[in-house]
Amino acid sequence: MSEILRVEDLKKYFETKKGTLHAVDGVTFTVEAGKTLGIVGESGCGKSTLGRVILHLHERTDGKIVFQGEDISDVSPAKLKALRKDMQIIFQDPYASLNPRMSLGNIIGEPLEIYGMCKSKEEKEKKVREIMDVVGLASRTYYLYPHELDGGRRQRVGIARALILDPKLIVCDEPVSALDVSIQAQILNLMMELQKERGLTYLFITHNLSVVKHISDDITVMYLGQMVEKADSAEIFKHQYHPYTKALISAIPLPKYDAPDNQIILKGEITSPINVTKSCRFAPRCIYAKPECFNTEPQLEEVAPNHFVKCHFVKEINNL
Amino acid sequence: MAEKILDVKDLEIRYVTDEETVKAVNGISFTLEKGESIGLVGETGAGKTTTALGILRLVPDPPGEIVGGSIEFKGRQLLDLTEKEMRQIRGGQISMIFQDPMTSLNPVMTVGEQIAEVVLLHNKISKAEARKKAMEMLEQVGIPGERCDEYPHQFSGGMKQRVVIAIALACSPELLIADEPTTALDVTIQAQVLELMRKLKQEYNTSLILITHDLGVVAKICDKVAVVYAGEVIESGTLKDIYTDKRHPYTIGLFDSLPDIENDSESLKVIQGMVPDPSNLPDGCKFHPRCPHATEACKTGVMPSIQVSETHMVRCNRFSAEV
Amino acid sequence: MKKSVTEKKHTMLGEIWRRFKKNRQAVIGLIVLILFILIAVFAPVVAPYGYDDQDASRAMMRPCTDYPFGTDNLGRDVMSRLIYGSRYSLSIGFLAVGISVITGGFLGIIAAYYPKLDNIIMRTMDLFMAIPQMLLAMCIVSALGPNLFNLMLAVGLSSTPKFARVVRASVLSTREQEFVEAARAIGASNTRIILRHIIPNSMAPLIVQATLAMAGAVISASALSFLGFGVAPPMPEWGAMLSAGRKYIRQAPYLTVIPGLAIMAIVYALNVVGDGLRDCLDPRLKK
Repeated sequence: MSEILRVEDLKKYFETKKGTLHAVDGVTFTVEAGKTLGIVGESGCGKSTLGRVILHLHERTDGKIVFQGEDISDVSPAKLKALRKDMQIIFQDPYASLNPRMSLGNIIGEPLEIYGMCKSKEEKEKKVREIMDVVGLASRTYYLYPHELDGGRRQRVGIARALILDPKLIVCDEPVSALDVSIQAQILNLMMELQKERGLTYLFITHNLSVVKHISDDITVMYLGQMVEKADSAEIFKHQYHPYTKALISAIPLPKYDAPDNQIILKGEITSPINVTKSCRFAPRCIYAKPECFNTEPQLEEVAPNHFVKCHFVKEINNL
Repeated sequence: MAEKILDVKDLEIRYVTDEETVKAVNGISFTLEKGESIGLVGETGAGKTTTALGILRLVPDPPGEIVGGSIEFKGRQLLDLTEKEMRQIRGGQISMIFQDPMTSLNPVMTVGEQIAEVVLLHNKISKAEARKKAMEMLEQVGIPGERCDEYPHQFSGGMKQRVVIAIALACSPELLIADEPTTALDVTIQAQVLELMRKLKQEYNTSLILITHDLGVVAKICDKVAVVYAGEVIESGTLKDIYTDKRHPYTIGLFDSLPDIENDSESLKVIQGMVPDPSNLPDGCKFHPRCPHATEACKTGVMPSIQVSETHMVRCNRFSAEV
Repeated sequence: MKKSVTEKKHTMLGEIWRRFKKNRQAVIGLIVLILFILIAVFAPVVAPYGYDDQDASRAMMRPCTDYPFGTDNLGRDVMSRLIYGSRYSLSIGFLAVGISVITGGFLGIIAAYYPKLDNIIMRTMDLFMAIPQMLLAMCIVSALGPNLFNLMLAVGLSSTPKFARVVRASVLSTREQEFVEAARAIGASNTRIILRHIIPNSMAPLIVQATLAMAGAVISASALSFLGFGVAPPMPEWGAMLSAGRKYIRQAPYLTVIPGLAIMAIVYALNVVGDGLRDCLDPRLKK
């Protein structure tokens, strides 16, 4: 197994009028080639910023990004352009992320033009039509504009644009959140097939736990810019050790008759990531919080093989 | 038998513009008893929101038009009332919660004023009493009463939705229509708000129409379910009927396309094709182009409504033989 | 293959035209505008006389069948002068606005896309906005000398700040859109992002502003000519005609009224077309 992406203690702070916003604050993980890492969290936990920092759409504040064995934390514009052939992104909103004044053929073919990968218009058209076929877009849609398509097809355009350069890693930022359930299933299946055929690696960012479980090999749960728990997908749904993960998973309303009513209702709402102090960031909402949680920051600890949790009292809470 | 509070029959709503006629609602019927809650489930464009707006007679006209059917609320025909009578019902006896709490509150009025406004409109009480009532309502939805004088931007998303609920419940309505009340919220906040709605519904004995695409949310707070597809109820019944004995191929497809959090599966089952364009609906069963069981008979005519049991109705040719 | 490209392009424009058609006033405005343009283009064919054909024997004739709009103090046919004059008024309108679109557009885009330059550019624009537009235009003409080209330049440059503002605001909101980020993610250069993604999506307000500004430019040009800063005689610019006719307003009111009406008609047409365009290009009104 070979690692394709490693992120070490990655930080991204934004300066705001109220103070420093810790959007991503010390995230460390590795992704293996051909696998999917799911990053789960609620709005404001920094998951989207994380994806964009890895792609250099935002510049990091601190930390290290290693892609295919090469440190890409600081890169020249030319190197960055070359890198982007290998790292692509699929956006959440398939409407906002497509230029309304460009036809599908031009949207999907634009990367080819940028990298000079087609010698003629005919060659571009041929390549675009090939990739359209791969993602299940009818060839006759080549000259259509985004507003003439429904959400599911638009998202296929977004996927086609990301795939045409034949990248190795794709950051998927909530790619199915804006879609209806029946369309969501079609897109998820497509993404999983593509992964198998082309050996793609996904960084799958979402707030939807059932989707992330379906598609991911490993899962990282984020809260206010930090990782609070990480393990492989099956393990984390079997055993959650962090109080936040427990609440998060129990909060999913199950589409079942007579589902057991054992929800953990968290008190309060996500606090602000501005001017944070050295403490457990989840402490204000945690039912197990003790004074220590407000004074010192817990470290990620391996509580079971390959299962990491960031909590002072993980052993006491879970009787480990 | 409890008192019947709402009886919607064959409701038909269209949006007519120069180029096209959008058949948003095509004969939706359902009933609701006091204290009962029904979930209208369906995907984007199925006509759920239009139905709700129709009940409140808030369909924008033009281009919207209620072309047929009846809506009886506590024995009164809502479609025959004057606009003035309707205004007394809206916010008083029937109130509505919209999807986006960010835009349904007025940013330049304090939350207290906004709650008091509804109370004053529907009750003959003094301003001081209305303010007291507003504070009570805030406490009811779990917000300290002293935050009464704060403006909406000082509240977070979940808190705003609580304020919206407080406004909706301020006049103790008999019917509450909630249009995707938790879709814009995070899961843990959604859990809080659903819990609150369930508690208040019991306390006030309010009937509830919950509009959502989330089958999990329905399972949490509804007694009955109506599955809406292309402006028609294609299956309806009690929560148990629908969740344990689903019949219509669309309902089955909808449940199957959800990733299951409790079991692993390689790939998701998918409903082929797309939701039909409501300005160009197929003949016969609206679902037949996507249906794996479609036969020639499905391509024309009106699908029969078949009572599988006393409470369970399905609109599909496949079950004609059974009854 | 070629055919379907044009077909699709037609549907995009067709959509806009379909919405534009609904606004009856705007359609009338457009017809008037097209009429003026045709008259200007075919002036020598349409005009019964030359614009400079003097004949003292027929001076100051009231409107009659031979001279539908009468003649002026030098015996020139007012209608012919009006017809030739439309060339000046329209070209001043189009070219002056063209100048403001290019200068204002360029500055606006640069200011919006490169935050470092934003302050310098926009504060300079504010400085110019503080000077009354007419005064600014007069200064420019007096500095460069009164002739047709300088008149256009003056009118165009004096409304540059307005265009810079409109374009900057539009680009600022476009650059925040996700498809711009998507373009960056596929490695597009700044130039490419500006040319292919930002400009086509920021055009709508610019087009509207340009149409409305054209009306303003016609008025400004006429006013400048009226004040003697514009076109030199015997060129039949409408404002200059108005100014010349002023002396005889008691004996021959038609010498001022008719050019005045012509200016009004074209300004009105441009304004309603601009309004109509704004309505049908506004993305919020889609659907």
